[in-house]
Amino acid sequence: MALEFDRSMLGQIFDETSFPPITKEEILDFSAALGEANPLYTNEAAAAKGPYGSLVAPPTFVTKLRAKKFTPEHLPKLGKVGFDGGRDLEISAPVRPGDALTMLSTIHDIYEKTGRTGSMYFIVIRNEVRNQKGEKVAVIDHRIMQR
Amino acid sequence: MSTLYFEDIEEGDELPAIDLFLSKDQVRQYARAANMYFPRFTDDEGARAEGLPGMIAPGVMSMGLLARMISDWNPAAAITRIGTTFRSPVLPDRHIHLRGAVTQKIAADHTAECDIWMENDDGERWVIGTATVLLPTKA
Repeated sequence: MALEFDRSMLGQIFDETSFPPITKEEILDFSAALGEANPLYTNEAAAAKGPYGSLVAPPTFVTKLRAKKFTPEHLPKLGKVGFDGGRDLEISAPVRPGDALTMLSTIHDIYEKTGRTGSMYFIVIRNEVRNQKGEKVAVIDHRIMQR
Repeated sequence: MSTLYFEDIEEGDELPAIDLFLSKDQVRQYARAANMYFPRFTDDEGARAEGLPGMIAPGVMSMGLLARMISDWNPAAAITRIGTTFRSPVLPDRHIHLRGAVTQKIAADHTAECDIWMENDDGERWVIGTATVLLPTKA
């Protein structure tokens, strides 16, 4: 079965969400929940003397940012059930306390894969995170699997 | 925890494994800290109402734990890319094993590629992935 959808929706921004400034507590709670012991993520005084000059968030912290709209209104319905297929994360700059982050969301790709259990469809939602200086912080690709 | 430089690591090096009992409370703590306090991640009944066998850990928690394994191995390694595939639901109240190995060293930019995965007691890989880490150099 050929995969048919309106390709013009790829790359179009369907959501822009701005977040309140990141707090030190949020970073420390996130680090603690993962059992992080790295002083860069857990110890403000030690991190201040480190390479970043301040406490920073662990690399996967950006995955906690929730877009107002997770998917566009007209997401193609390709299968009966959806699963969280995975996440790809590119990290360009650290997140620090006080950072005001903004996230833009697009559908990056839609593709079909044939596996052990038949055809599956993947919808890749891309979130691009920037900080208040306009620096790119991270690109997060969510692979939503439908079958 | 001590710094490893690009020169200190070799292709084939195994990252020190983390073996832990993933408790429901730990999953709830993550769900709270990660802004994901939804029934499927917080209680069995809520998860069953959504058609799951019981509460599960968020996929991104597994990703976070694998990133922590890298951070435990080398606190000076900066993860520039990490990708994980969630192959099966991660059910708490079980032992999980986080594993990894260096697969490639790239001298041009002082990075290393790693394979990373989470497996259960039977060696089934629930989560698999790769990461690129930027390492400090002695030069």
